[in-house]
Amino acid sequence: MGKYILKRLGYMLVVFLILSLLMYLVYAMIPYDRARAEAENWKQVYKNDPVGFENKYQELRKELGLDQNVFVRYLGWIGVMPINGQYQGILQGDMGYSYVYDRPVQDVLAKPMRNTIFINIFATILGLGITIPLGIFCGVKRGSKRDTAVQVATIVGYSIPVFISAILFIWIFAIMLGWFPVSGMKTPGSNFTGMKKYLDELYYMALPLIVMTATSLGGMTRYVRSSMIEALSMDCIRTARAKGLREKIVIFSHAWRNALIPIITLVVGWFLSIFSGSIMIENIFGLNGMGRIYINSLTQKDFEVVLLLQMFYVIIGLMGNLVIDILYGFADPRIRVNK
Amino acid sequence: MNKRILSLVLSLVMLALCFVGCGPAANNGDDTGADTGVDTGVVSGEKNENKVIVGNTTELAGDFRWPGFGGSSAGAADQDVNGLITGYSTMETNQGGAYVWNDTVVKSHTEEENEAGDLVVTIEINPGLLFSDGTEVKAVNYLAYVLAFSSPVSVNAGHTGMSGQAMVGYNSFAAYCGEDVAVADDAEVVPTKEFAGIRLLGDYSFSLTISAEAGYYPYYFANTYGAVTPYPLDLVLGEGVEVKDDGNGAYLTEAWYAKGADSTAEALTYAKSEHLKEARYDVTKYAFSGPYVVSEWDEGTKECTLTLNPNFAGNFEGQKPSIETIVYVKIVSETQLDQFKSGAVDILAGITGGSDTQAALAVIDESNGKFAEVHYQRAGYGKLQFECDFGPTMFESTRQAIAYVLNTSEFAQAFTGGYGTVVYGPYSPDFDMWAAVEDTIELTEYAYSVENAKQALIDGGWIYNSKGEDFVEGQTGVDAVRYRKLTAEEAEATGGVNKTYASVANTDGVEYKTVEVNGEYYMPLAINWFGTTPNDVTDMLAARLVGTDDVNALGMVIRSVTGDFDKLLGEIYREESYGYGGTPTYGMFNLATGWNSAVYDYAYNWSLDPVYFGYSSNKLFDEYDVAFPYDMTGEKLTYAEAMEASGGKLGMDYLSMAMVYNAKTTDEYNEWWGAYIERWNKLLPDIPLYSNYYFDIYNAKIQNFETSPFWSPVDALLYCTIANAQ
Repeated sequence: MGKYILKRLGYMLVVFLILSLLMYLVYAMIPYDRARAEAENWKQVYKNDPVGFENKYQELRKELGLDQNVFVRYLGWIGVMPINGQYQGILQGDMGYSYVYDRPVQDVLAKPMRNTIFINIFATILGLGITIPLGIFCGVKRGSKRDTAVQVATIVGYSIPVFISAILFIWIFAIMLGWFPVSGMKTPGSNFTGMKKYLDELYYMALPLIVMTATSLGGMTRYVRSSMIEALSMDCIRTARAKGLREKIVIFSHAWRNALIPIITLVVGWFLSIFSGSIMIENIFGLNGMGRIYINSLTQKDFEVVLLLQMFYVIIGLMGNLVIDILYGFADPRIRVNK
Repeated sequence: MNKRILSLVLSLVMLALCFVGCGPAANNGDDTGADTGVDTGVVSGEKNENKVIVGNTTELAGDFRWPGFGGSSAGAADQDVNGLITGYSTMETNQGGAYVWNDTVVKSHTEEENEAGDLVVTIEINPGLLFSDGTEVKAVNYLAYVLAFSSPVSVNAGHTGMSGQAMVGYNSFAAYCGEDVAVADDAEVVPTKEFAGIRLLGDYSFSLTISAEAGYYPYYFANTYGAVTPYPLDLVLGEGVEVKDDGNGAYLTEAWYAKGADSTAEALTYAKSEHLKEARYDVTKYAFSGPYVVSEWDEGTKECTLTLNPNFAGNFEGQKPSIETIVYVKIVSETQLDQFKSGAVDILAGITGGSDTQAALAVIDESNGKFAEVHYQRAGYGKLQFECDFGPTMFESTRQAIAYVLNTSEFAQAFTGGYGTVVYGPYSPDFDMWAAVEDTIELTEYAYSVENAKQALIDGGWIYNSKGEDFVEGQTGVDAVRYRKLTAEEAEATGGVNKTYASVANTDGVEYKTVEVNGEYYMPLAINWFGTTPNDVTDMLAARLVGTDDVNALGMVIRSVTGDFDKLLGEIYREESYGYGGTPTYGMFNLATGWNSAVYDYAYNWSLDPVYFGYSSNKLFDEYDVAFPYDMTGEKLTYAEAMEASGGKLGMDYLSMAMVYNAKTTDEYNEWWGAYIERWNKLLPDIPLYSNYYFDIYNAKIQNFETSPFWSPVDALLYCTIANAQ
């Protein structure tokens, strides 16, 4: 197993490097000149001196490494080649610089990451806590009125875009009923501490959390249901029932385990999404999370932030695949990796 | 068993969230547990917290100390907070956007010209002014900032390092790196430790010398260089650095220039630049000079809480705030009115546009006096902007024809929903200079008239077809539009692009392009327009200009291409790194412009020298400037003298330069300004489309809330009180 993991990690490194180069090239191709954008800050200063302004622009190009070719810049960004005489790349712990926020990228991402994880952990636990039992129930009671009702509800929920659901929930629960705040992350101007602070944050997170959970129910419920139906139709289940095993044991020990393989992929995916914010939810509810910073950075062409985020998600994705493969082995000994 | 425990835990989590989620809808955020419930403004007579929550759709970044750090990209929200925590500037902007001396701070000041022709501004400040931590504000606090941010140390920290660029001796001071170095005898700049144009004259007095040699004096707004702000010494300089003056100019002691660990002979770095980078974002360690102090900055929620600075002595009018707490929060534009109605925010500023304004006013109407509004006309306008150095839009007649055929009154009405108007030049009705010239200035309104548009084209020489014969209306194909015969100079303009000029986005299959007939070039009246998308203005303009009967009747065609704002800037500034293809293509753009203060200076924007085109949005050559150019080193004529010398033909460059470099008094400035606006109105480098009203809506518990284009809500809050404040 250890050898297998090491081998996979080696592959992952190669994939990461190829993807990072491709992503870097893509952003380098976008017609945008960071040095020019930075130089605009100096325009007023050099108002009477266009030559000085041009010199400043060239100086900024050099400072940002833009006078080098794109492959040199890429190697500099990784940290294996010096830019302006200095190694200042990812390998040296320099994750890049956000020119919009005017500070290192890791400083920009720290708080949004914390907020995103905070809300997504609850959404994931709630989502899985509801969808798995509900999917199993529907799979077992296939064709019943309750199953049909759940099918209708989930297909409706699955079909409505999240921004529509969010606005609908705001209108009902925040505006009409006044149960929740419209947006924000805490009571403005509050100086709560300890548990009160935590509860206040949860109060503000409740509505987006409900929206996130509600909108995610449809897909997963249907997925679990169909996996369960497939598992329940297997010969081994018929055998188990014929042996006279109790129905609960048949469902949870035999059918559920056989249904797990496809579900593991989704469940792990859900947990991985804890790190990636929801662009829609965060923008609608004014949450300072990864989704919002991602889209803001893209629209404002803060590419060092975007690039680092994407590389982070590449790593998460690659690690997720490894975890899924390992978990498959636990769920089904037939595909367990022993070497 | 484990499954049961898991189910139980999940059920408990969901139950807890439901309880938490359905908690109280409103509380005052005080940890004491007191709950005042929903605000009832002045209607109920209940006690109100002495607190205001300001909502802003722009996110705070925490860059409050020096927003933008010397650059021009400071966040608007950060600047608002900066305005609340920074005070005691020697000059401040008043409600009309003009710079005025701050009498609360300045005991006396003099402005004198020295023998070299420089302007020496000597300022004595009042003793007893205090920072928020109780330390006294002295002359060194004013000079520390200018010295620090003129030195290479600040440049090393990412600042422009040009705070003192207008002052005598700047170049020498900026070149000083902490040690005397040998320089060649013929060196243009000799580094010096002292900043000759800045003098520390005593504990409470200092002087600033504005350089004539560097071109900063004479200058109409030269005294605004005397606007300096005090900062705590430890904030700007860190530990171990002093501001001194031994008689040759103020300077910073040696510790300021201590080299960084990674400093090399080729690339100097400074230890203090790390201090500046950290201090810039620190809102806890250092004192504040403004009416408020940052009591909490929550980067996670992007919320800033400010509380009264008890030591603040007042603004330029001696005004001190009475509202104890101001909370600045990020809001979502789509739901901001709902937040406002629910009491989550007390002020929403800058609401504009027909539907948004109507929705905001409906909230006020239905509030039974709980909410109120104040509105003003924006100091700026949306516009059609022309490239004036190539293509059909290089001709005044084309621009005027578009102005006539585009019904700007109707457009403004439609776009603003009735909450806006039209201006006829680059001005705000709130400018003092507009008030001075309003009764005498003569501006053409370009009222909608297809006939006038047609006549302008005919007068401008748009009278041919593609064969060089007379234009006949009602033709199809390439002869559906008018052509203009180009002079040799016009054909060769801007690298000869007019000879190959052609329409783009030819979706109807017809390409209009410059044709050569018998050695003469004829340019088609086909205008390539670039607009941003998504943008309502772009859509509305397209409906009024692209393929309409009016435009067709003129013998004109307008081709529309849309894209993002960077591409638009790339085309305007002709920056290939922004997607510009290397050949000027678009002659018309739609965007907007505005002013933050009444410092109105367009010098160098209309220069005939292409090297200054980076400062010009329009690249307009005014023929009057060719005949009577402005000479920076020449005699500074009065308006009457210049009019006489030019035969009454003063161009855009002359007027814009003379406005700030010749005028000495307000009356003189206004005279130049009025002439500049008139000339602009005739040449029409832009067509103003609308100047919308901005509505600031607020909870009526806030009393005396008055804003203007130059007086933001945070300025206004200094004068406000809370009704029935606790």
